[in-house]
Amino acid sequence: MLFGRKKKNPIIIADKGVVEWKYTTCGYCSTGCSIEVGINGVGEAVSSRGVGGADVNRGKLCIKGIFEHELFKTEGRGRTPLVRNSWLDEYQDTDWDSALDSMAENIKVIQADHGRDAFAVVSTGQILTEEFYALGKLTRGAIGTNNYDGNTTLCMASAVSGYKRSFGQDGPPGCYEDFEETECLLAFGSNLPEQHPIIYWRMKEAMEKRKFPLIVVDPRVTMLAQFADMHLAINPGTDVVLLNSLAFVIIDEKLADMDYIEKHTNGMEEFQSIVEDYDPVSASKICGIDEDTIRNVARLYAKADKAMSIWTMGINQSTHGSDGVVGINNLNLITGNIGKPGGTSLSITGQSNAMGTREWSSCSGLPGHRALENVDHRQEIADYWGIDPEFLPKQRGLFQTDIFPAIETGQIKGLWLIGTNPMTSMPNTSRIRKTLEKLDFLVVQDAYEDVETTKYAHMFLPAAIWAEKDGCFTNTERRVNRVTNVAKPFKNSKPDLWIFSNLSKRFENGLKMKFSENAEDMFEEMKELSKGEHRNLDISGMSYDKIEKNRGLQWPCREGDEKGAQRLYSDGKFPHVDGKAKIIPLPFVDNNERPDTEYPFWLNSGRVVEHFHTRTRTGKIGNQNKFSPTPYMEMNPDSAVELGIEHQTYVRCVSRRGDAVVMVQLTQRIPRDMVFIPFHFHDCVNRLTLGLLDPHSRQPAFKQNAVRIEQVDQKEAAQRNVEARGY
Amino acid sequence: MFQVRNDEPQYAFLNDETIKETNCYGKHIQTVDVSSELHGKSLNINLDSEIGENPNRYKQHGFHFTADNCIGCHACEAACSEKNDNPAHIAFRSVGYVEGGTYPDFKRLNISMACNHCDDPVCLKGCPTRAYTKFAEYGAVLQDPDICFGCGYCTWVCPYNAPQLDPVKGQVSKCNMCVDRLEVGLKPACVSACLGNALNFGVIENTPENREQAKVEIPGFPRTDITNPNIRFQQTRDMPNEMTRTDSMSVKYHKDIKTGVFEPVVDKKKGLQRSWSFDKLRSREDPLVIFTLVSQAVIGAFLFMFLGKLAGIESVVQIVNSSAYLPMIFVLLGMEAVALFLSTMHLGKPLRFYRAFNNLKYSPVSREVAGIAVFFNSLGAHFLAVLVNSQIAGVELLQQVATFFAYVAALSGPIAIYFMHKIYRIEARPFWNHWQVLTAFYGNMLTLGSLITGLFFVPIFMFNNLPVTDILQLVAGLMFVGLVVEVIGHYFHAKHMNVKGREGAVSYYEQVTTFGKTNLFRHGLLLINILVSMALMFVEQVSVLSFIVWVALTLSVLTASLISRAMFYVMVVPTTMPGAFFWKNKGFEEHARETGLASVVEAGIIADTH
Repeated sequence: MLFGRKKKNPIIIADKGVVEWKYTTCGYCSTGCSIEVGINGVGEAVSSRGVGGADVNRGKLCIKGIFEHELFKTEGRGRTPLVRNSWLDEYQDTDWDSALDSMAENIKVIQADHGRDAFAVVSTGQILTEEFYALGKLTRGAIGTNNYDGNTTLCMASAVSGYKRSFGQDGPPGCYEDFEETECLLAFGSNLPEQHPIIYWRMKEAMEKRKFPLIVVDPRVTMLAQFADMHLAINPGTDVVLLNSLAFVIIDEKLADMDYIEKHTNGMEEFQSIVEDYDPVSASKICGIDEDTIRNVARLYAKADKAMSIWTMGINQSTHGSDGVVGINNLNLITGNIGKPGGTSLSITGQSNAMGTREWSSCSGLPGHRALENVDHRQEIADYWGIDPEFLPKQRGLFQTDIFPAIETGQIKGLWLIGTNPMTSMPNTSRIRKTLEKLDFLVVQDAYEDVETTKYAHMFLPAAIWAEKDGCFTNTERRVNRVTNVAKPFKNSKPDLWIFSNLSKRFENGLKMKFSENAEDMFEEMKELSKGEHRNLDISGMSYDKIEKNRGLQWPCREGDEKGAQRLYSDGKFPHVDGKAKIIPLPFVDNNERPDTEYPFWLNSGRVVEHFHTRTRTGKIGNQNKFSPTPYMEMNPDSAVELGIEHQTYVRCVSRRGDAVVMVQLTQRIPRDMVFIPFHFHDCVNRLTLGLLDPHSRQPAFKQNAVRIEQVDQKEAAQRNVEARGY
Repeated sequence: MFQVRNDEPQYAFLNDETIKETNCYGKHIQTVDVSSELHGKSLNINLDSEIGENPNRYKQHGFHFTADNCIGCHACEAACSEKNDNPAHIAFRSVGYVEGGTYPDFKRLNISMACNHCDDPVCLKGCPTRAYTKFAEYGAVLQDPDICFGCGYCTWVCPYNAPQLDPVKGQVSKCNMCVDRLEVGLKPACVSACLGNALNFGVIENTPENREQAKVEIPGFPRTDITNPNIRFQQTRDMPNEMTRTDSMSVKYHKDIKTGVFEPVVDKKKGLQRSWSFDKLRSREDPLVIFTLVSQAVIGAFLFMFLGKLAGIESVVQIVNSSAYLPMIFVLLGMEAVALFLSTMHLGKPLRFYRAFNNLKYSPVSREVAGIAVFFNSLGAHFLAVLVNSQIAGVELLQQVATFFAYVAALSGPIAIYFMHKIYRIEARPFWNHWQVLTAFYGNMLTLGSLITGLFFVPIFMFNNLPVTDILQLVAGLMFVGLVVEVIGHYFHAKHMNVKGREGAVSYYEQVTTFGKTNLFRHGLLLINILVSMALMFVEQVSVLSFIVWVALTLSVLTASLISRAMFYVMVVPTTMPGAFFWKNKGFEEHARETGLASVVEAGIIADTH
């Protein structure tokens, strides 16, 4: 063997000089991975690694987590508060006191002139639970606006709504451990390898130990669809039809768990009468899945001892999002697959703390899954906060997707955006631009001052990011985990909790209420509010130390419990007043914008693994961004030939809303009548989307739109594309 | 030593219970035995003198890749870059893919690839500086960036794209097998990070738990007989007969129905339209275009005079004995000095140029440089001896010294060109790996050597009213021979590339499409040059017409040579791994540079700084 040099230099392998590893939880998606951030001798965060003993990720991280320490050094961070009178002026630097004074003053003026609800607040799924709780307290209790929502309306609202309708309360009933137990896994519009790689790995590990059938419902041949035992390439927006038809077969062939239905559910008869219309032959004509396959899947699912369904945006982001979730719950209720190991309806959530905002932000009501509509809940919270219960609205106000139209028509004059970027994330962004221009007062609170929405803001508040702060996230399987102060806030940026708590002092009610800049104080308040025999969202058995020691604890975790419960509803008791779950009939009406001769392609959108949401963070980390530094569009090569379009050239996509220039990637993973564009990029796919709203969840249908494809001058297109990429 | 965590998960630990004696290439898996002087040494990682306790330290290790499972999530690439602190434009490991079928019967096959720590590491043999070492420990092939001078030759010879030339740092770096982790019993970072349970690692030929295959081919992976790579695959899912690449390379993979093995074939992505693509003739290797042409011309010119005199050809004797001989040698030295300067500046680290001689035993680069150095210095010594001799007139010893160095130069020149040609005989670059390189180089030596000799002396002779017909006829004749030799090479080369298929055929496809018009133009020029030089062999009288024809021929020969040599460098298609749509896609990189997308550091594309 040839070895080369005998006299060798020392081998040099990069040594980042880590002297300490600090525990925290990943701030991207809702998988909830435990991370250790390596700190070098001079206190810089230089490395990230998955925590070996953490149950969620067991030492693994996805590409985003692996480079998460680089976030602290990303470009474009907010340095100091900025103000200006009009969005046409230049920003001026200011200090925090002046900024918050002016902000409170502006809010009060708008509320005095146009009513309390004329100032709206739209937050995020990215900040810490304690911050959500404080923001809810501030918004509901001190500012007193009912037009308060989170951007979770763009991602998880349908799941929330569906869970509430079926079970009486929000909260995914299952956990990742269910993969180890299940005998059949049905995935709807969920591309785990791309969107939730760690959850995919947990599933893969389970599958390598014990093979179970995987069925994937998705119009694209995603990696998950490719690896599935059966891939159901469904027509966009018709999941409810498929679900009804599966139920038809299960009932028709007497495969339903009648005992479970009898004991734990209501509404079966009415359900059955609607389901009768969805025999597999009729259903196949609508959803595009042949009748044999429908029967086959229904039998497989119903006959499995334990079967589970997961879903993500393929269900949620549709005009039948909430119905889709209810349909999945129906399927699991009639087969007795709720709350048992390996049998569950598990929504795979989007943002790192979408669950935290659902639990504690008061967006959809009051903290701890309480409702504004419930007089006892209003009284309870008002008493605890020390305010007059009459100050609280008696009904939930507008959703995020209704707040923007209310600005458009002049009912809302002021807006506070926290950690969200509607200029890129909302459907039909040209409408959003026009809307934002109209505001008398727009405050953008974000970690990045180059977030596109700052273009129309009057004030920018620089927030600290992720592990520059202290608090908790809750993940998809209801696991509360710790985010700790790994780094100091960048320059003069402040933790969101600090901002909320300092703004509260500028409102009359705020002075009456307890606000703390210390996250643990807020956590203790939440614990108090979570106590109660019938409350599933009980975190009173948790403490910061205990959470970190256990690498996260699932709720319910009642006072005195050593650990939290893995699953909800295992006892068959549901939060509806009668203690039973509802099986809800789902008549299907096709209200989607469908392809026609003028706009012949379905436009579908989704995520890629290297980016998160609107790229404000991941677009600035080279080792992630390089995998897709610019937007692209998947298109079927056969349709491209017809239009004379070539691989890796630019095209112009046109919808009834607007146009977008994008680079074509020809691939057979997508049907001939569909194109797919990742949603992360500014001035791209959401210039085209319609985003019809789901009637229950008000979540937009991002994935069902019609477009046509046109050829463009390549040089001009390239230039337009470069100019649209600020980062 | 690398720190193993208290809660290190089980999957991160190496786990080789039994070990085979030999690998699938018939070589021993044990690298050395206890008696070897290479045994029991510290790897000296970051100056740590401890010795790892891994029981399989002297066994060849390698990656195992279950292609069935790879989800293309980039976790392996990310973990690698994070650990090795690599900037966005450098990656020791990359994931690309091939895909095939028709919706919804569609399959994408992701391939994650780093260095394969080959049994026969061509990088180690090719590197002129001896920056590469194959370690007895784990059989790891490691490269030392502190020795490397950034010539990039290893990136040419490696069939798998493993060595990474960093244009910013001007040096190569590559996968280090995470030997620091191996020393403490941990698998490499990429393997521990894999989220599809696709990537694994261990003593070579061991099939990991839950896996059934350890084969050496999957669609998209280059042939293994070049280097005997230490990677094994599992790929049990049936793939469509034709798998295409999403990157700009005009290659696809076609299944041989009998063997089930995929072979690279031409994918006519750009249609059949012929273009000029003059702008694409420029490349990072531009200095080498000049260096090779000039060196061949200089050597040719010297041989013209030396051999002509030796053979007693009257006109050449006249040249050598003339007072213009010394200035001519001076001009040749000057030309070669410029060429050497250009080729040195082409290195990532030009100040380390002296390291080029480190690997005379194996590297054709070292041998070429040595050959050129001997030629250049002999020519210089010859020049000095002749110069001094002409001043002091008639010292016998000086005369002998001059003659001696003339012989050395005349011998070392053609040898240098032979090794220059050997540089390009790379198996991983089929377009180059043909004897045509030799005919082109020697052909150019004859053509250009004769031409510049003529260019230099004919005007001087004419000015002094001396006869030039003989010289011109000789020059035309030698050019004719050189051109014919070159064209014969081109003919057989094209034929061979077409027959052999694979990446060579892809180069040929590029030659007749992207450079189709340029190629025809070049062929046209060559043909004209042959005919004209043949005609000029018989011209007895110098006239205005013949003068014009000579000027035209000169321009035409220089143009054809430049185009030919530039095409030689840009048309080569290496046996690389398939890229992705953006990452490792040459077409997108070029586009990003042209349009300014590459100006953002986070795009991970850096404009070549050479």
